[in-house]
Amino acid sequence: MRTQFTGSRGVAAAAAIVVVFALTAMRPSGQATRAARTIDGKPNLNGIWQVTNTANWDLLPHTVRPAVAQPGVYANHPVLAAPVVALGSVGLVPPGPGVVEGNEIPYTPQAAAQKRDNAEHWLDRDPELRCYMPGVPRAMYMPYPFQITQSPNKIQMVFSYANASRTIYLGQTPNAPADMWMGHSVGHWEGNTLVVDVTSLNDRTWLSRSGDFHSDALHLVERYTPITADALRYEVTVEDPNVYTRPWKMSMVLYRQLEDNAMLMDFRCIEYVEETFLGHLRKDQLVKHWEGDTIVLDVTRRVPAGDKRYER
Amino acid sequence: MNAENRLRQTDVEVLTMRTKARSLALLGALTAATICAVAWQGITVHGQAAQPKAAPATTARKAAPATTAPASKGLRTPWGAPDLNGVWNTNTLVPLERPREFGTRAYMTEQEHAKALADLQARNQRPGRDSREVGGKSAVGTEKDVARAYNEFWFGDKPTKLSMRTSMIVDPQDGRMPPYTPEAAKRIADKREFLAALLQGTSGGKPGPISPRRAERSPDYNLDRINRANGPEDRGGPERCLGDNLPVTMGTGTFGGVMQVVQSPDSVSIYYDVGQGQGFAWVVPITNRPHLPKNIQLYHGDAIGHWDGDTLVVDVTNFTDQTSFRGSRENLHLVQRFKRVDANTLSVQFTVDDPTTWTRPWTAVQELEKADDKTTLVLEGGCHEGNYGLLGMLLNTRAAEQAFREGKGPDPATQDNATGGGGEN
Repeated sequence: MRTQFTGSRGVAAAAAIVVVFALTAMRPSGQATRAARTIDGKPNLNGIWQVTNTANWDLLPHTVRPAVAQPGVYANHPVLAAPVVALGSVGLVPPGPGVVEGNEIPYTPQAAAQKRDNAEHWLDRDPELRCYMPGVPRAMYMPYPFQITQSPNKIQMVFSYANASRTIYLGQTPNAPADMWMGHSVGHWEGNTLVVDVTSLNDRTWLSRSGDFHSDALHLVERYTPITADALRYEVTVEDPNVYTRPWKMSMVLYRQLEDNAMLMDFRCIEYVEETFLGHLRKDQLVKHWEGDTIVLDVTRRVPAGDKRYER
Repeated sequence: MNAENRLRQTDVEVLTMRTKARSLALLGALTAATICAVAWQGITVHGQAAQPKAAPATTARKAAPATTAPASKGLRTPWGAPDLNGVWNTNTLVPLERPREFGTRAYMTEQEHAKALADLQARNQRPGRDSREVGGKSAVGTEKDVARAYNEFWFGDKPTKLSMRTSMIVDPQDGRMPPYTPEAAKRIADKREFLAALLQGTSGGKPGPISPRRAERSPDYNLDRINRANGPEDRGGPERCLGDNLPVTMGTGTFGGVMQVVQSPDSVSIYYDVGQGQGFAWVVPITNRPHLPKNIQLYHGDAIGHWDGDTLVVDVTNFTDQTSFRGSRENLHLVQRFKRVDANTLSVQFTVDDPTTWTRPWTAVQELEKADDKTTLVLEGGCHEGNYGLLGMLLNTRAAEQAFREGKGPDPATQDNATGGGGEN
């Protein structure tokens, strides 16, 4: 009996070893087995990252709402508007607790009015809808992955969305010669924290789908600090005296994708948004109901048969 | 490349003279489609570009500062991989295909090379595409003038890396792309016919009536300059800012290009800054995962990288019909090999195979020259973000159609908006 017991323990141990080997073999690209530090002792940021929050929709605390709304029965409870009514719950903004410290963005009174106006005309103005480079910091919290490639002198971030990218120069670098969509990033390590100073940003990008904006005086200080090997605290201080009365701060977490088949796939969008922004300039319209600059939506939607059954 | 060839090559190198911030050029004309910020070559090293452009090449070469880590460091990353990091320049005289007079000879002689360089410089000094003369006469306000209203800014005295190669193609031996398969030849001929039909009856096409084929859809996903602007899909990829595609052969045209490499043990992240804002980011993962299922088609393909000794080998499949490399679309199989040759040189080789396009695989090589890390910034290509050209092209064509309907202008179908003014001058 005793021998048998020992024997089965041996089998279990052998099985465990086999399992370990099998796991190692299954993870050749090592998403989960990546060393916590690079060979030069820095936190290892290599990998594919993404937020899980709803900051791109709205930086502040928010509840569910239609992405495109029309007045409902109650004034304070709008419903989905005609262009997206068929989307059902896909057309809703998911709720979120917000990412802004103090739950307030300190807009100047004039800028606050501009923000509200932007939110109202979101579909006409948000550069994201045009497949433009999202800018920084928005690129960091769009709900799509990005890949970090970390070398001793440069950290390259490539974003799935719109094939945007940014280089973080570590150490001495020339000043940028012009403002850019993704700005000019210069970083250094403070202990375990990567601190990045971002300047030379143009005034064309937004911070969210809720109309949050900035001017070309935008200056960011980002801090990337590992919480675990696979999670980074991302903090960004936002300074822009043209738009805000004081610097303010966002804080969130970036998560590493641990799937064995994790990979960065381009979220190409130019070919798909041309219809949105150039469709009215076609010789022969794909949409048949344009009247000058006005697209006349003639939404014909047959109620699905499945729903009909329950209506009997 | 053997040591002797390498020596010959570096002997005739001249410094990068690219002093212009080739960025933010605003191109508003009918023909112009793109705006971008391209490479901005920085401050210190290229301050030397104030030297006479025709400075004796060998002198200029000696004046070049050491821009890379000493060879004693072995050109390796801290984790021991060959170090591919850096910004790599092209701008070579080397054409993709070998001019026939060289036969199977892979390298030029010194004399041949000096002449090629002189020819290039002479060409750069003659009236360029934005000349307002045609055949010695003022062409101001003509169709050709408008078509040429482009930006000489993009052109200049280019060559930085004067490889003595007679062609990038090293296999087949004659340095030329192998013949197309009958299937591909037909595809290409069909498209040519369609392009010609759309030009028929215009100044850039055959005489004849306006072709009924103007109402047809392009036989392929159009990437050419066709004489029609019914919608965005009629305009070529660059005019739509769709970005360049793989493999990138930099410096074969007039625009040159740079490539920034940032490397980690997991991935090699490349930014290609090429052409007029057609730059793009390309991340090569170092992995042995299998390729994606065949039905997943990606604009830049599915790249899988691995180290074969000191060479980074990247296998790329899963391309789309929205890109074309010399006629090869979704069936392209690309293998790229990146190798650090010495402190200043990166060798980039590609082999392409597509049995539906070529009768055999073929291979080409480019040598790229390292730029100074401390002074070189590669800027984002903001082509799509500033693409007023595509809007203008569609808007103007609709306006011209309207004017024609009202009897105020010619039928736009009789105008040539594709050939850029034909072959004259």
